[in-house]
Amino acid sequence: MTTTHRPTGPSATASAARLPGRSLLRIGPVSLLIRRRAVLVAVALTVLLLLAMLLSLSLGTPYVAPADVLRALSGAGTPYDLVVFDLRLPRVVLAAVAGAAFGVAGTLIQSVARNPLASPDVIGITQGAGLAATVALTSGMAAVLVAPTALVGGLLAAVLLFALGARHGLAAQRFVLAGVAVAFGFRALTEVVMLTADPIDGLRAQIWLIGTLAGKGWTEAAWIAGTLLVLLPVLAWAGWALNSTALDDDTTRGVGLRPVARRIGLAGAGVVVAAMATAQVGAVDFVALVAPQVARRLVRAERPPLVCAALLGALLLVLADLAGRRLFAPTQLPAGVLTAAIGGPYLIFLLLRGRRRSS
Amino acid sequence: MLSTRDLVVGYDERTVLDGLDLDLPADAFTVIVGPNACGKSTLLRTMARLLNPRRGTVLLDGTAIRDLPTREVARRLGVLPQSPLVPEGVTVADLVGRGRQPYQRWWRQWSSEDGVAVEQAMTLADVADLADRPVDSLSGGQRQRVWIAMTLAQDTDALLLDEPTTFLDLAHQVEVLDLLHRLRVERGRTVVAVLHDLNQAARYADHLVAMRAGAVVAAGPPREILTADLVRDVFGLACVVVPCPVTGAPLVVPAHTGGNTAGTAAASAGVGGTDSSGAPVPDARPATGDAANPLADSYPSKGL
Repeated sequence: MTTTHRPTGPSATASAARLPGRSLLRIGPVSLLIRRRAVLVAVALTVLLLLAMLLSLSLGTPYVAPADVLRALSGAGTPYDLVVFDLRLPRVVLAAVAGAAFGVAGTLIQSVARNPLASPDVIGITQGAGLAATVALTSGMAAVLVAPTALVGGLLAAVLLFALGARHGLAAQRFVLAGVAVAFGFRALTEVVMLTADPIDGLRAQIWLIGTLAGKGWTEAAWIAGTLLVLLPVLAWAGWALNSTALDDDTTRGVGLRPVARRIGLAGAGVVVAAMATAQVGAVDFVALVAPQVARRLVRAERPPLVCAALLGALLLVLADLAGRRLFAPTQLPAGVLTAAIGGPYLIFLLLRGRRRSS
Repeated sequence: MLSTRDLVVGYDERTVLDGLDLDLPADAFTVIVGPNACGKSTLLRTMARLLNPRRGTVLLDGTAIRDLPTREVARRLGVLPQSPLVPEGVTVADLVGRGRQPYQRWWRQWSSEDGVAVEQAMTLADVADLADRPVDSLSGGQRQRVWIAMTLAQDTDALLLDEPTTFLDLAHQVEVLDLLHRLRVERGRTVVAVLHDLNQAARYADHLVAMRAGAVVAAGPPREILTADLVRDVFGLACVVVPCPVTGAPLVVPAHTGGNTAGTAAASAGVGGTDSSGAPVPDARPATGDAANPLADSYPSKGL
């Protein structure tokens, strides 16, 4: 049955195994293994995302017909330029960029935690940013300083999390436990600050904590996009390195990889992206929880796919922001309220469906 | 090929191995045996650089293993941990493919050599038919062969296995051990395994290492070193060592029956029954597909 030569033998080329559902993409010296289904899902999500963005640019007061939106975007010069470019486009782009960032952060954090329920708000990043933002908002700090302060808070929480998890090599369970401890600590402090604050300031902090895109735009989007861009080499590596997070440490070491270094790299990138996105748009993080899991099920992969999770996160936040703007217009709901409303039931639906199929 | 020099290994307060010197022969099937907590798994894990020694060195072909990049070690030395975590939803081909990671980078995720190595590893371990199945849907014996296939895909000269037969029924134990035997004989791999069953160790090993309390008590070919005295020294068990009726290798039979003499009679009848299937094979190891192995026909893997 078996051929007798070693795997490197010259006559062996005829029977090269192909991994199920994967294709090899070669670009010069680069060869990437791509899941065929992930490509389909990514294309579909991109189309849906563009449609959702178009819809979001078009709906509102005044209503701008999609054709007019496209004409305005093409630079033809229309009476709607002000509405489309200055009022709606910055917010829509921010929703897409922030949503993508949450999708990426959720994927990285869930993979390291080996837990589909882990997300930036489970491991304390959101609470760190939230405490800092609350302090900033209730102490009369200049508005432009709120986001940088929140970023520092989120990163401080990350440092604390890594310090607590380090002794056990950032092992999954330890990582989650340390995160939960950090989250509770910061949440308690936030409530103390909130209770002692002026009620109006407290309300502003409350809205920040829910997460909203109202009144935000290019600046916030640029910060998040810049962070993703700087981390692009890390993310390119992460897309591959995520494959090994499902193996235990002994097996990982056995195949010549360094599991602890991998976890630090992956979790490090995840918390930085999460802290930045949270600092800019607030704690809209149901997206980070749901997008990776839904993307994983759509792709039918054993772990969340990075690119699809990012696209789905973007789609989710664009839709949530649109729904928040229009559903109860003229009353506007923060996007953070809507992400939970859209994402939660869908995740439950998927969990139920998955269980029925596997049983 | 693998040696240890003055190896001291421990966990927290407890020292498990204290100054161990050992040389394992190349191109042989070495089996490490010993009572529970004697340090045999610790030794194997340290040799596979899964544990860092407090003192001393592990030498791989004469070079200290800690001075070698872990990726290079992974191209020369494969290791199968005791009960590896089965990742949810991963297919067999996918998991076996992960054995190729020492040869891959994120910008070079797959090559034709990877494909060939995976295909051959799956064929050798007889899991090629399962390639598209999720590993978590397989039986224990199939799973173990998939893990072995993953380490085979690493294409290493040496393979270290920590109790590869634990949790398997007898037929699947024999199947896994036959596979390891073939790797040694047909592929010239150096195989090192920790086993619990002395009789299986005696049957398959070229080189037996008996350990007690973190030290090597005896090492050598099983026929030379496996005696009733050794078993008493190592396990504290009185026994009779007789030649195995099938292979002629030493067969360890506990001397005390615990009062159950009826069981003893039945057992000796059973041994006689096996003997009738053929004359004892002079070689200590099973000839694959031999009539001496009554299970040969029920497993397609034996056709190799």
